[in-house]
Amino acid sequence: MFDYWLTMLILFPMLGAILAFMMGSRTNWARAIAVAFSAIPLVITLFLFTQFNMGGGMQFEEQYVWISTALGDKAFTIYWSLGVDGLSLPMVLLTTLVTFIAVVFSWDVSKRGSQYFALLLAMNAGVMGVFMSMDYFLFYIFWEFTLIPMFFLIAIWGGPRKAYSSIKFFIYTHVASLAMLLSIFALFFEASTGNFLMKDIAQVAPNIAKDLQLMIFAGLFIGFAVKMPVVPFHTWLPDAHVEAPTAGSVLLAAVMLKMGAYGLIRIALPNLPVAALEFQMFMFAIAAISIVYATFACLAQTDLKKMVAFSSVGHMGFVMLGIATLTPLGLTAASFQMFAHGLITAVLFMACGVIQHSAGTREIPLLGGLAQKMPNLSAFMMIGFMASLGLPSLVGFVSEFATFLATYQAFGMLVWVVLISVPLTAAYHLWAMQRSIFGPLTDKIDTSHLYDVHWYEAAALGTMCLLLLVFGVFPGLIWDYFSPYANELADLISSFASCMGVI
Amino acid sequence: MDILQYAWLIPLLPVLGFIIIGFFGGRMKEGGAPVAIIAAASACVLSIWVGIEILLRDLATPDEAFVMQTTWLQLTDDLTIEFGIYLDNLTAMMLIFVSILIFLIFVYSIGYMHEEGARKRRYYAEVCLFATGMFGLVVASNYLEMFIFWEIMGLCSYLLIGFWNHRPSAASAAKKAFLVTRVGDVMLMTGIIILFIEFGDLNYTHLFDRAIVDPSMGTLPWDNLQIAMLLIFGGAIGKSAQFPLHDWLPDAMEGPTTVSALIHAATMVKGGVYLVARSFPLYVQVPDVLLVIAIIGGVTAIFAASMALNNMNIKRVLAYSTISQLAYMMLALGAGGYAFYYLGYADGYSASTFHMFNHAFFKALLFLCAGSVIHAVGTEDMRKMGGLSRKMKVTSIAMLVAALSISGIPPFSGFWSKDEVLASVWNAAEANSMFYLLWALGAITAFMTAFYMFRLWFMTFAGEEGEACKHAHESPASMAGPLVVLAVFAFSSGFALFIGDGFLSRIFFGHAHDITSMELLGEIFTDWKTYLSVGLAVAGIVLAYYMYVKRSVNVDNVITSPGGAKVYKTLQQRYYFPQAFDGIGLKVIYPVAKVVDYFDKNGIDGIVNGVSGSITGFGRRLSKAQTGNVHNYAAVVIAGLSVILILAYLVGGL
Repeated sequence: MFDYWLTMLILFPMLGAILAFMMGSRTNWARAIAVAFSAIPLVITLFLFTQFNMGGGMQFEEQYVWISTALGDKAFTIYWSLGVDGLSLPMVLLTTLVTFIAVVFSWDVSKRGSQYFALLLAMNAGVMGVFMSMDYFLFYIFWEFTLIPMFFLIAIWGGPRKAYSSIKFFIYTHVASLAMLLSIFALFFEASTGNFLMKDIAQVAPNIAKDLQLMIFAGLFIGFAVKMPVVPFHTWLPDAHVEAPTAGSVLLAAVMLKMGAYGLIRIALPNLPVAALEFQMFMFAIAAISIVYATFACLAQTDLKKMVAFSSVGHMGFVMLGIATLTPLGLTAASFQMFAHGLITAVLFMACGVIQHSAGTREIPLLGGLAQKMPNLSAFMMIGFMASLGLPSLVGFVSEFATFLATYQAFGMLVWVVLISVPLTAAYHLWAMQRSIFGPLTDKIDTSHLYDVHWYEAAALGTMCLLLLVFGVFPGLIWDYFSPYANELADLISSFASCMGVI
Repeated sequence: MDILQYAWLIPLLPVLGFIIIGFFGGRMKEGGAPVAIIAAASACVLSIWVGIEILLRDLATPDEAFVMQTTWLQLTDDLTIEFGIYLDNLTAMMLIFVSILIFLIFVYSIGYMHEEGARKRRYYAEVCLFATGMFGLVVASNYLEMFIFWEIMGLCSYLLIGFWNHRPSAASAAKKAFLVTRVGDVMLMTGIIILFIEFGDLNYTHLFDRAIVDPSMGTLPWDNLQIAMLLIFGGAIGKSAQFPLHDWLPDAMEGPTTVSALIHAATMVKGGVYLVARSFPLYVQVPDVLLVIAIIGGVTAIFAASMALNNMNIKRVLAYSTISQLAYMMLALGAGGYAFYYLGYADGYSASTFHMFNHAFFKALLFLCAGSVIHAVGTEDMRKMGGLSRKMKVTSIAMLVAALSISGIPPFSGFWSKDEVLASVWNAAEANSMFYLLWALGAITAFMTAFYMFRLWFMTFAGEEGEACKHAHESPASMAGPLVVLAVFAFSSGFALFIGDGFLSRIFFGHAHDITSMELLGEIFTDWKTYLSVGLAVAGIVLAYYMYVKRSVNVDNVITSPGGAKVYKTLQQRYYFPQAFDGIGLKVIYPVAKVVDYFDKNGIDGIVNGVSGSITGFGRRLSKAQTGNVHNYAAVVIAGLSVILILAYLVGGL
């Protein structure tokens, strides 16, 4: 049995990135390399799904000593340690899938094509590392590494305010990561396991004293909450999205934001269950504020892409809401929402990208009646929007319903706080469609050059729309992977809840 | 072969049509109409077969359902969502009338939509998907499954109202329909969530068994049941366009007339009534909610009818009429359930479902006749019509049949069910005298109904030739054919009361109204209330005749008087509901959104940039070689951390 699958998943895109970069001005070659080297990890991931033992915990593990050194009189070791379980495997699938789709969608990129493709692949490698790392040191390295390709994607291929946005993105999330790093060190020292292995630290960490748990949790929370992002730490996101090129936005929203939520579920909750319980109502409040705030903000946007960016804040609020319940249902719903949002938002950003290319603007007041000239784009966009507003039979509904269910289960009638966002969410989606694709054809811009989707755009959008339906009709395909981990985690937390009751 | 095992195919056949037409309709004749009709026809045959099979079962087990389920999603160890079919007598009745109407209206569409060119593919694909939603709703075996199909119908309604989406009015009406019903849907979803968590299951079998076995079981959270059932009724209010979520339905007339007939008259808007009827075993546990249902029904009936009195748009008159008739059904359900709780019988349940059955035929017929007229004259404004009965014989007679039926003139179908509805409300008054008032509202509505229906008929078909009627001619056979078939149904569907053991012995709640046809006839025709309601209907017709044909009653004096003018305008402005909805949207929600946006740019981001800027300045003074950006943002994050800690202290009692 071949034992290096997960390392391959990181090496292939990395190698592809280097090769694509070396193609220089031969964009066609770079593109072929990008397609191949993003397709291979996707195929490997699908293969891993066939080999995966559901509910069997961490699998395909690899562990090699990477650095062995001493700090003062204490020896410690850093491992190249990878593994996937029911939580991370779907995230790996999301990453490889969305990267492949983003590469296909970027078929005709004209400016510095080989570098563009190289950065997309590098991004892929970094995010994969985050989802598969089983060693905190490795995790942090990949976590920070993902900033670099994204920074360049925004800074080079971005819009008019690219300098401001890219630097803001980089520094804001980077500094937040420092808070996370401090907490990781605190975990490491408190656990005093002599290594950074997640599973070793997780054995010890839950018993850390409550006050210290709270401080460590706060640090991790900062790092993850900025990444997700949640209100009030979200302002880097709309700026980054508005300026980023389409494929960059797709990767940023569909994959990179998930790192924050993944961190909460993978690191903060299982290591610090006591703190998680203390923070429960706080997380609920943050989630509710994010959802409602983002919904209202969406209503006010005139830039279609900025609206979609804000909708991501609201949707990630749902993830936070599910996490806040600390129940098996809520945690599974949160994980599923991560996956669902990844698929949905990719469609939304690609649709915005096509409109930008075709009409030359994304300002909703300047658009109108696009459905007459761009019927296929309009159909794709409508499917994406419907999924985003939670239409049953599409994937967004499953997580929305499950999250509300879990919220009622955990918080009772407080669920109304977030329920009011549902009609308003429908409102901003429908209003945006009414003004941009319906009605009479706009006369505010030159519409003579409007074109409908190119074949590669149609392929990318069509595939993703189909998946919205597939996972909406058969949510069990992914849901069943998430539930064992969520059950285990919720059990752990509730065992501490009963202890706290005694204290 | 047991046909019931294949009932799950009923919603699946149209979805195949949807897929085939969606991909290949452009290359087919009439944009894929033959595929749609084949799908509808096969679903219709199967539906009727299944329906009859169910209805003809041994009477000993009439309320026992045929159930087939499979796990859809294992949410957690204790919460499972299943998918499947649930077939009982109510399902059977729904399947029969829904499938017949879908088939007939699809056929009618060939003629009506003929000139739509490339858009026809979209039309036939979407109506096929709608059929899936409607059939799925009817056969669904639990609340979540039902809700999914409920929303698919909502989507199709949205798409088809906005069929001519290049018209701003159509795009706006579609959005309104979706949003207003969405408000109801949120309530429905919340109700479902409460049921799910409190009872641990969403399957009808489980919930209904539990409710029927022991209605007074103290261990169940009945307060929550009350809230849940009220919320579920909220969904019904939205879908069936009841007060105060009624305002989307008149606007929905922006869609093609076939869509109005199918979705916004005969099938989808019945979804709310069906939902309440389906949930009856739960509703009869919560009489207060039933009283709310009855009151909403009674109020909506007269409220909607009043707006039909002076409307000039032929389709909108019919839309208000639909709302008003649906309200009758709600009223009867509320009354029936209330009577069941206190008196032990639920005749309102049978009355309501019977009226739903009859209404589907005569209201679809009214809309299709209106469609035939609009097709001929090219306008929906009744002031430009008149004298059409000479040019459109079939349409005018068919519409007359439907008008007589909805007005409640014996022996047309509407008479039988409307009589049952009013009788059931009267009977419930024994438990609560509030129902006398509601009955009176219903009776007055009967008068108004007859008046506005014949006002419509006279303005359209009688009198002098209208300005738009010069080149009018009868519609083609594909349109006239369904009219004739439907006219037969609209005339005779009321006789279902007497066929075999009769409607009441098949569709009932609790125990059957055990009565022979002759006894029933005797009961109906010895009751003074029957004569009163028929008298009121005749009075309405006569008044319309004198106002719009003889023109010997002139209401201009009333209308132009200050008080009359105010009333007239209020009705025309739909009691200012559209303004109120726009006001909520544009004067409340949108400004809040603007404030949030401003706060986001200048508040939150202002702090981010401000702190960054000031520290940059500080850093510049400190060292000209460094920009200090990292530190700035670090400061922001530290500020944020403090905010979080303070919040955590306040919220979590850290």
